[in-house]
Amino acid sequence: MLRWAAIAAVALLLALLPLYGDAVTIQYGINALLVAVLAQAWNILGGFTGYASFGNSTFYGLGTYGTAIAMAQFGLPFWTGLLLGAALAMLCALLVGIPILRLRGPYFAIATLGLSAALSALVANLDIAGRNIGLILPLTRNDTLFYEASLALLAAATLAVAWLSASRFGMGLIAIREDEDAAAVMGVNTTLYKVVALVLSALFTAVAGGIHAYWITFIDPASAFDSTLNVRMVIMTVFGGPGTVLGPVVGAFILSAIYEALASSISTAAALFFGIVIVLAVIFMPRGLVDLGWGFRRMGPRYLLETVRQYRL
Amino acid sequence: MKRLLAMAGATALLLGLSGAAMAQGKTITLGAAVQLTGSLANTGRYYRDAYQLAIDAINAKGGVKVKGESYKLALDLLDNESDVNLGVRQYVQLVTRDKVNFLLGPFNSNDALDDSSVAEKYEVPMVEGGGASGQIFARGYKYIFGTLPPADEYYRSTVEMLGKLDPKVRTVALVAADDSFDVSVAKGTRKLLEKAGLKVVVDEQYRENSGDFSSILSLIKSRQPDAILWSGHEPEALNFIRQAKSLNANPKYFYSFTVGVPTADFRTALGKDADYAFGMTPWLPSERLTDEWFGNAAAFATLYRQKYGYDPDYHAASAVADVETFVKAIEAAGTLDPKTVRDAIAKVDFHCLYAHVKYAANGQIDLPQTVIQIQDGKLVAIYAESLINKPLYPIPPWDKRG
Repeated sequence: MLRWAAIAAVALLLALLPLYGDAVTIQYGINALLVAVLAQAWNILGGFTGYASFGNSTFYGLGTYGTAIAMAQFGLPFWTGLLLGAALAMLCALLVGIPILRLRGPYFAIATLGLSAALSALVANLDIAGRNIGLILPLTRNDTLFYEASLALLAAATLAVAWLSASRFGMGLIAIREDEDAAAVMGVNTTLYKVVALVLSALFTAVAGGIHAYWITFIDPASAFDSTLNVRMVIMTVFGGPGTVLGPVVGAFILSAIYEALASSISTAAALFFGIVIVLAVIFMPRGLVDLGWGFRRMGPRYLLETVRQYRL
Repeated sequence: MKRLLAMAGATALLLGLSGAAMAQGKTITLGAAVQLTGSLANTGRYYRDAYQLAIDAINAKGGVKVKGESYKLALDLLDNESDVNLGVRQYVQLVTRDKVNFLLGPFNSNDALDDSSVAEKYEVPMVEGGGASGQIFARGYKYIFGTLPPADEYYRSTVEMLGKLDPKVRTVALVAADDSFDVSVAKGTRKLLEKAGLKVVVDEQYRENSGDFSSILSLIKSRQPDAILWSGHEPEALNFIRQAKSLNANPKYFYSFTVGVPTADFRTALGKDADYAFGMTPWLPSERLTDEWFGNAAAFATLYRQKYGYDPDYHAASAVADVETFVKAIEAAGTLDPKTVRDAIAKVDFHCLYAHVKYAANGQIDLPQTVIQIQDGKLVAIYAESLINKPLYPIPPWDKRG
């Protein structure tokens, strides 16, 4: 009970940020919240089933372009753009997921690796998408809208994951991660479960892309289908705790803060230090921050040594 | 509970970071977020150094006079790490938290496209010397001004010169990358060629950052155009020349590049193979370009080299013009009010070490390119409205060079 009250208080504090935060804080908030959505969305498939997707930057790009095409080429309202982007991304997830997710193991990761490069090349040759020149979206002065939209999206994604982790469907996903054969024997339609998880993941990722497109006002294939974004999703989820409800969100917030602090204080070496933080995290808490929290409560600092021993690092 | 406290703490920490307000005495602060690290840092440094040098020179001569009072200029420069999202956030920070008076631009068209939206949103004028793409100025924004010449005019002086050279060029191969800037160049050049009565026999677009020109070069070999007009980025220009040499693909008389030729890197990378290449620059450090603060462009170039240890190019000169634009506009406006200064910028009209600065209705200046050629490892100005030096023309084919 106390726990839920605290979560509600934090959510309220974040929701009211535009009332007491300044413009820079809101800008920072938009970025951090959108990245947290991406991590949370990646968590749905990557964290629960253990299937690492490198296709999420593709869904992000499709969401970006869906919104941009609707608004810049057809003058449609923002929400129509978001719908179009989400529809495109979910369709793509379905088309990619059905054949590839029938396979087990690393094939899925390999097959999704090239996806964003392929779609970026495709978009760069489509007139309706502005070819490689990019598209310009109309300017709006309402940064509060972007902030609240990002926050609402993160809330929706997190609630979806919370529901997932308690539902039969979520149990099925976890079963796939732990032992796919056993899951199949117990009557879990593994392909269906995995595809649904991927489509759900694509939905949230695409909407985040759409919000970002309208906020930044200019997009081109290189920025929309940026594969380093996918790497960040993975890092943030793994840092926070894959397969948990709040892990990816906490991971995204903390890593965004570290990145920001490093960028403003020691900018040249920022990338290097960021790398060191990640390496330390992987060595001492390979199961994420959330697990670290539980472990510390159970056995104190000995947890760090335990994990190092357990994973033979 | 503890976990949540930690979470709230982390959130508070990340929200409270970055930037304390700048002290505001009798100073006018110009803010910019420039690429000081990351993939574009090599060109970003021109902006950092030129902004600072211009501000120092202006302060040394008494600063800016606003209604009889004298103000010093200050620079609030942030590093956007070649990251567009960070750049946008930093410009918001400059306007809202650091409370800078006016904005200077970043390098690169894509950055300027995103960052100019911040200027427009907060109605603070930005003068940028790093983005030439027409898209920046086609959005109807009122608070963005640019000092790089429009992309579609890049080949105007070259085409003009070709009409005066002997033997006459009649057929042309047009090769351009598919990004915003180069598509504009190609579009404008097609119009110029049509007007001059030249025939385009090869018109090829290549994917940005692709290093392979073999199919385009074999097309050139088979159609034998008199001239190649090429547009793209410097690494691609290097590849194009190396591959043209190894395939011995030659136009009959002439080839020219939009970028690369003016830079020292281009000449060191190619050595003797850089010879004969034509190019263009909107700026050369000439004594004819006089300046209120630096004397002239040549004196500026010497000072710049002394201070920073490398030669300025048009990026640096364009950045100086941005700072000087603000000085002229603020003095004319007699106030620091952003809206009044914005209107004054639209009306400025002065000569400086960079060019004749006068903004068109869309906010971009018009500036003719000077045709240049590398002759025996040295950069030589060839043509601007009339011939300046004798070009080495026609260019000898690769297999006939010593």
